[in-house]
Amino acid sequence: MGRKDDLERYREVGEAKRQDLSEFIQYGDLGDSRPDEVKVPIKIVDLPSFVYDPRDMGGVGQGQGGTPDVGDPVGEPEEGAADGDEDGDGEEPGEESGEHEYYEMDPEEFARELDEELGLDLDPKGKKVIEEKEGDFTDITRSGPASTLDFERLFKKGLKRKLAMDFDESYVEEALRVEGWGPATVFEWARGEHVPVSRAWIDDAYESIPRSERSRWDSIEEMEANVEREPTAARIRRDGIDQVPFRSDDERYRYPEIIEEREKNVVVINIRDVSGSMREAKRELVERTFTPLDWYLTGKYDNAEFVYIAHDADAWEVEREEFFGIRSGGGTRISSAYELAAEVLEAEYPWAEWNRYVFAAGDSENSSNDTEQRVIPLMEEIPANLHAYVETQPSGNAINATHAQEIEEHFGRDSNVAVAYVQGPDDVVGAIDTVLSTEDDDT
Amino acid sequence: MSTDDRIHKQRIADGLEEPTREANELARKLGLDPFDVNYWIVDYDEMNELIAYGGFQQRYPHWRWGMKYDRQRKQSQFLGGKAFEIVNNDDPSNAFLQESNELADQKAVITHVEAHADFFKNNEWFRMFGTSPEAAAMLERHADAIAEYMDDPEVSREDVEEWIDHVLCLEDNIDQHQPFATAEEWRDESPTPDDIDEKLDELELSEEVRREVFDEEWLDSVDDEEGGPTFPPSPERDLLAFLTSHGKAYDGDSGRAIEYEEWQREILELLRKEAYYFAPQKMTKVMNEGWAAYHESRMMADENFAAADEFLSYADHMAQVLGSPGLNPYKLGFELWQYVENRRNRREVIEHLLRVEGVSWRNFNDTVDLDSVLGLLEPDPVVRDPVGHLEELDPDDPRIDGETLARARDPDDDVDVETYPWKLLTYEGLAERHYSLVKREHRGFLKRVTQNELERTARYLFDTERYDSVEAAIEAVDRSAGWNRMFEIRESHNDVTFLDAFLTDEFVENNDYFTYEYTHTTDDFRVTSTDAADVKKKLMLRFTNFGKPTIAVKDGNFRNRNELLLIHQYNGVQLDLTEARQTLERVFELWGRPVALKTIVKEFDEHDVEVARRRDSEPEPTEQGKLIRFDGERFEEEDLDDAAIEEIAASGLDYDTKPDEWL
Repeated sequence: MGRKDDLERYREVGEAKRQDLSEFIQYGDLGDSRPDEVKVPIKIVDLPSFVYDPRDMGGVGQGQGGTPDVGDPVGEPEEGAADGDEDGDGEEPGEESGEHEYYEMDPEEFARELDEELGLDLDPKGKKVIEEKEGDFTDITRSGPASTLDFERLFKKGLKRKLAMDFDESYVEEALRVEGWGPATVFEWARGEHVPVSRAWIDDAYESIPRSERSRWDSIEEMEANVEREPTAARIRRDGIDQVPFRSDDERYRYPEIIEEREKNVVVINIRDVSGSMREAKRELVERTFTPLDWYLTGKYDNAEFVYIAHDADAWEVEREEFFGIRSGGGTRISSAYELAAEVLEAEYPWAEWNRYVFAAGDSENSSNDTEQRVIPLMEEIPANLHAYVETQPSGNAINATHAQEIEEHFGRDSNVAVAYVQGPDDVVGAIDTVLSTEDDDT
Repeated sequence: MSTDDRIHKQRIADGLEEPTREANELARKLGLDPFDVNYWIVDYDEMNELIAYGGFQQRYPHWRWGMKYDRQRKQSQFLGGKAFEIVNNDDPSNAFLQESNELADQKAVITHVEAHADFFKNNEWFRMFGTSPEAAAMLERHADAIAEYMDDPEVSREDVEEWIDHVLCLEDNIDQHQPFATAEEWRDESPTPDDIDEKLDELELSEEVRREVFDEEWLDSVDDEEGGPTFPPSPERDLLAFLTSHGKAYDGDSGRAIEYEEWQREILELLRKEAYYFAPQKMTKVMNEGWAAYHESRMMADENFAAADEFLSYADHMAQVLGSPGLNPYKLGFELWQYVENRRNRREVIEHLLRVEGVSWRNFNDTVDLDSVLGLLEPDPVVRDPVGHLEELDPDDPRIDGETLARARDPDDDVDVETYPWKLLTYEGLAERHYSLVKREHRGFLKRVTQNELERTARYLFDTERYDSVEAAIEAVDRSAGWNRMFEIRESHNDVTFLDAFLTDEFVENNDYFTYEYTHTTDDFRVTSTDAADVKKKLMLRFTNFGKPTIAVKDGNFRNRNELLLIHQYNGVQLDLTEARQTLERVFELWGRPVALKTIVKEFDEHDVEVARRRDSEPEPTEQGKLIRFDGERFEEEDLDDAAIEEIAASGLDYDTKPDEWL
């Protein structure tokens, strides 16, 4: 129990109470989030209680240098109190002002949740080798730092050697007690019996046997019949090992296996038509579709970079902050954006090293023949995991707004080109699903 | 805690030993009578944790502490990590000082804390909970008990936590104006329907008499119109007590109400007790914070408790606390206390001046030169600078602390009157030294006396003593009058009575307060009035009953089916219906049977709204009685006729401050 526990429980409770992800994407306030932190509003984090209707209650404020005039707007009522200073139970009267609570998730969690929600499973592909990482210490070498010495191996080797060199000394000694056998004969015999004994040992042993005992047995056959030879294992079990002969030959050092870590790089090109026909409602739909896609891909890849291209008849690169707000007056030539995209990708995001996603959105209006003659060839030329076009057309199809259709007809369903239609917030999740489930696994 | 950390904190603690000792002594000289305070040095993270856990180290396990901690951490990140102080209401009180604060801040916190500890000890609303809070021990016991239930393999942590959630939804639904009584004691005092039968039995009446006198008709007369006996006899505001005594849990498997498990009943009781413990703090927020700010300022600024080099940092802190926007309880409280002091002092002066020969309330402005009166009221140089007049001080002067004076004159004594000149003065001496009416910021206060106030004062004046001259009258003025009054008020008032008594027209006008309301025409909040009466009305709404609507148990046997009927005692401001429904769902869990709420809502006719918009006026709502009933699965709503809501309707209350002519 304690703070750690309570914090964890808060996370759990908060998660249970956060807004449903689809609902959040479609209708929620995306603007409070940042690219690296998705803030999903928590439905009711504070416990309910019997309270006044804040609108019906009204309130009291204090003018800053003068009393305001009746009729002046006061903005959302603030329950201002210096919160740095509290005694005991820190509740201010009226503390429960409508302050938004968020359940914060990082893009990884967002991507996981969205996978679950949409039944997706996009497996990011590694491209560039970014580092040779040390894997487990499974390879070995003959030299190395003492700390990596494979002692287990050294011991086993030593033990084997010991077993190989060991012999039943008393048995060999008995052979020296055979009538007429000297060290030379015994050595011969021992070799024949595969006893790993040296001539020097036999000589020493012979010297230490009293003469009277040197003819205990009449023949080697008699000795072998009366003396039982004890196997090494039994002897070790009885006497233990006094010494395991470690040899430097047996020393081996472990070293780590080298693993090639492939960084999962992704670059997402967001293209948006900012021409005059792209009014507020359309712009918002683009933001609702693109922003979650950005989060998702950020969550899926180790390293995500974003390029934002705005276009009317010409295309130019912009910062994210401006991207969804820009509106220009000009006409529309979608190919201008693809030309710029191709340029940027070529220069900065080589296909060998980067996963590429090229997302475009607009109301499907394009200058005549541009789609067929310029955009489609460009899309075919730009290698990418996925190309997508999201048509945002709140009122359904307008005349001449055929870009999406032409693309769809040309590429068909079995390709790495996705086309999605968004007429209102309700379609956003479906569009995201279409885009993300289109990725061609062969690329 | 690492050793280094401990040493570091120890060093800070050593440095604060003198300030804490001296602050306490000064506080006592100023008339405060605080609980003893244990000061603790904590780091930033510990401070955030303490704030989240309501100022105590041991609280029951619950997710909302985690939430508060998380919020606190983020909030103080944005505020640059300046969490200043926290002190809890206990005997002794525990105050926590953040190690990273500068010495000036620490001193400010200490002076602030001493005043809080005085308030905890002497405000009688705190005694509603008993003579001594023994809070830390109590909360730790509760924490242990609840943790134990959570550890019980028979009960899941989630279930316990959810039960706590249900209860917490009603933590303000207690009867905070009554002394705390355990649920058992409460039960013994509250009759139930069975009691009537029991009582009749006790009377040992013969069947005949019983049939004759206490016949069906009589029994019906104590029943409500729905047919069952009504209990409680009068609406009960302590929902938690009522539920503890008569509530059941809802068993989802069998779909029936079942008796509480032991853990459920005990948790309900523990949390109810905590609600009563914390209630006085919520009821006196403005007073208590204002009291602390007032004394902090008295000690830090007026008595130079902050050294010269620290003062700027202190002033900055003070400005930050008081300067935060909106309605700020610190600032409101601080200003009100100053107003109390000034007003009582002015009254004292006026009473004396009106007894000067030849002065009456009619000719007051012509006969009395208030500028020269202010001159006469200036503190005697002896109390203004006692150290500079060490030789002249008279040990028998009631304003002089004779004992310290003797020590200061003794060359072998090391009493530091240079740093702490107040040591030479008594409460009386200090009251004169800090006399409010002659302070630069309050110099206009005396002159703002109205004809009306003069007349009123004159009317209640006992015509006993007369003075020959203004000088003689001022000489007799009790400079402690303002302070004495403040101590009386801090003893007996709570925020509601405090605001009611002292939020005067003069105060509202001088401090630029205004009211705002939601307006349908513009769909936003607009300033609606700067009139003092309106401001006061709105403030009272916000501080009465924790700023929440009054809900009471009307009937525990509603529809004669053991359903629970709650009533919202409507005061002209409607409930947040969404939250009310969510809360009813929780009440259902604690009652185990269907629950209903009788309330009044304001309904707007679309046509009226449209017409009003065109005319730049506000639409008139229709007040409609509603019965909202929740049976565990779904809500039913039923319109009630006017007769049915008579008992809950507001009479003569109107919190609406919108002008008739609008925009």
